[in-house]
Amino acid sequence: MQTRPRVTYPDTTVVDFVIVGSGAAGGVIAKELSTQGHSVVVMEQGPRLDPSKFEHDEFKYHFRNGISNPAPTSWRKTAQDEAKVGDGLLLYARLVGGSSVHFTANFWRLHEKDFMERSLLGGVPGADLQDWPITYAELEPYYTKVDWEVGVSGTPGPFDPPRSRPYPLPPMPVKSSGVLFERGAKKIGLHPQSSPMAILSKPFNGRNACQHCGYCMEYGCEYGAKSSSLASMIPVAEATGKCEIRPNSYVRKVELDARGRATGVTYFDALKKEHLQRAKAVILCANGAETPRLLFNSASSRFPQGLANSSGLVGKNLMFNGGAAAMGVFEHPLNEYKSIQCTRLSHDFYDSDPKRGFYGGGGMDARFQQYPIQFALGGLPTDAPTWGSAYKKMVGDYFSRSMTVAGHTTSLPVPTNNITLDPKAKDDWGLPALRVTYKDHADDLKISQFLLDKQMEILAAAGAQKKWVAYPAIEQQFTAHLLGTCRMGKDPKTSVVDIDHRTHDVKNLFICDGSSMVTSGRGQPTMTIMALAFRAGERIGGLAQRGEI
Amino acid sequence: MSDQVTRRAFLAAAGAAGAVWLAADPDLVQAAVAHARRQAAAPPPHRFDVLTPEQAADLEAVSMRIFPTDETPGAREAGVIHFIDRSLSTYAADQKGMMITGLGDLNTQVKAKWPGAARFSALTAVQQDEILKEIEKSPFFGAMRFVSAVGMFGNSSYGGNQGQVGWKLIGFESHGINQPPFGYYDAEVMKGG
Repeated sequence: MQTRPRVTYPDTTVVDFVIVGSGAAGGVIAKELSTQGHSVVVMEQGPRLDPSKFEHDEFKYHFRNGISNPAPTSWRKTAQDEAKVGDGLLLYARLVGGSSVHFTANFWRLHEKDFMERSLLGGVPGADLQDWPITYAELEPYYTKVDWEVGVSGTPGPFDPPRSRPYPLPPMPVKSSGVLFERGAKKIGLHPQSSPMAILSKPFNGRNACQHCGYCMEYGCEYGAKSSSLASMIPVAEATGKCEIRPNSYVRKVELDARGRATGVTYFDALKKEHLQRAKAVILCANGAETPRLLFNSASSRFPQGLANSSGLVGKNLMFNGGAAAMGVFEHPLNEYKSIQCTRLSHDFYDSDPKRGFYGGGGMDARFQQYPIQFALGGLPTDAPTWGSAYKKMVGDYFSRSMTVAGHTTSLPVPTNNITLDPKAKDDWGLPALRVTYKDHADDLKISQFLLDKQMEILAAAGAQKKWVAYPAIEQQFTAHLLGTCRMGKDPKTSVVDIDHRTHDVKNLFICDGSSMVTSGRGQPTMTIMALAFRAGERIGGLAQRGEI
Repeated sequence: MSDQVTRRAFLAAAGAAGAVWLAADPDLVQAAVAHARRQAAAPPPHRFDVLTPEQAADLEAVSMRIFPTDETPGAREAGVIHFIDRSLSTYAADQKGMMITGLGDLNTQVKAKWPGAARFSALTAVQQDEILKEIEKSPFFGAMRFVSAVGMFGNSSYGGNQGQVGWKLIGFESHGINQPPFGYYDAEVMKGG
């Protein structure tokens, strides 16, 4: 790879593309378009941190928004309720690389059926379940690009969809939780498999292999072994000499000209001074909450209900993925705090099965879930003492011997679950804050409970001395998965972007991130977001080359 | 399940009072760490930044009932009170009023129950437990449970977990590089067991 000096573009330059967001989607598209020779500016609201500055500090990273968004978000369950800031938590990472920096790195592909559940299963009352406008076969080459360019370790499992190329890297070494999960799952007749992880089991593409430090979920990887955009894509994009990553740049509005074409974005710099970056085309990769917020904040006389929102679907059909958690304690130490979060999973209940009487499917995995402070506060069985000598002894006895079996489930697209602008609360820039309206569909809670029962069975069959429900199948007030809010489709009346990720309403405005997803999958959406981004990068680049933007 | 599900569990476990500790500016947290380093380097005896000796004695006594010193070290040995004092003097300064008011209420209850007692820290351990049971659902106790856990198990740079006594208690090692096997059951598999 020939490395050119990092480029910076003055605001007055009309670049080919401005991309809003440097995370899973933005990093991939920036790399694709810049390697094709296009000039690209990537706007990132957060700072640029050198990986050597990532810390093993649970208090800062988990409890004090070390690298995650401090922006106020108000929550309510239905439109009849008043939304309150603090009633729920919407989490994303706010730095160059976005949430791919702090993700857990579970990289599950969607299955063929995920793309056509409406056709296979019919409609679901209370939900707007639709087929995707593309198939698994169309996306498969791009999943393979993620495997090979971003870096995924794994080995195929019995329920996996077909793949055109093997994994580039062998699976990560199994942990005690994986051994026990596999033992328990097999005993009850299931078919456990290795967890595919976007973490390098061996050195790859000039990057280090995992050092098993244990700080993946919610942390940045100082070794560069976790396959974030920051570690994998952004260096390639910058090496082209065509791509500028612009940190501390908070985009306020997409600008339009009199003809209804996007002309660039208005943004605040680190000192909250306003600038306009002009571009021939704008690509929003800001995540499934911030992308719709930006479209609403870009409303104009031409688009009074929000930019690119003639369908009325911007912000709607918000999906989180669900799932409950079971925990168990075993005779000997597992030391789950070492190495990556997950090494074994089951996809036996991936498919929605009409015989269950409700829509939904999911996966289960064995995982390390709670670092020491969190474990002390919430890691013990619900009937355990919460303070005093017996409590202290139990925290000490249980920490190294316990593990979590987590469920990861479908969320139905429910039109009343959405992202809107809060009418009162403002962010630090004076812009209307995010407002989440979310109430799990009854079927979403049923599949969570269905899997939770299996999770408890697995722990029992694995020989747990004691098992308990750590988090029940209840309505969610937390999310790190932000999906479905600008869904992809062929019909401009029922979708926001077309199969090229071009908005139906504005010819040179594109959207690709979790918001593009038509259905939720079974958790672990980042693999799919990155695959969509590789595909979008190729197609948008093709449109540009043919003069069709 | 969303990967950071434990934040929800935390909100439930720590209660509303604990939750407000979440909302700080990371820059201020860094300032607190720098401050803690300076204090740690200062010659003894260490003086408290914002707490009076009596307040410190009472709050430490509460933390010592949450993590008592018995066969193993507890909140006293971890220096939980120093974590609390340093937090309240820096990024959590806005929490000080709530903590002091909560402590005042506790001491009012102490005097009502045992008219001869000067304050919470003067009670016997049995009496302390008796009165804490009465307030264990209160925001003050929720906050004390939260700060005691962070002071036990957070990074030593914040003033608590001195000598890593909290991590030793639970068998947690913080060094950055590990090699398989990690635990008993994967070791068994590696051995072909």
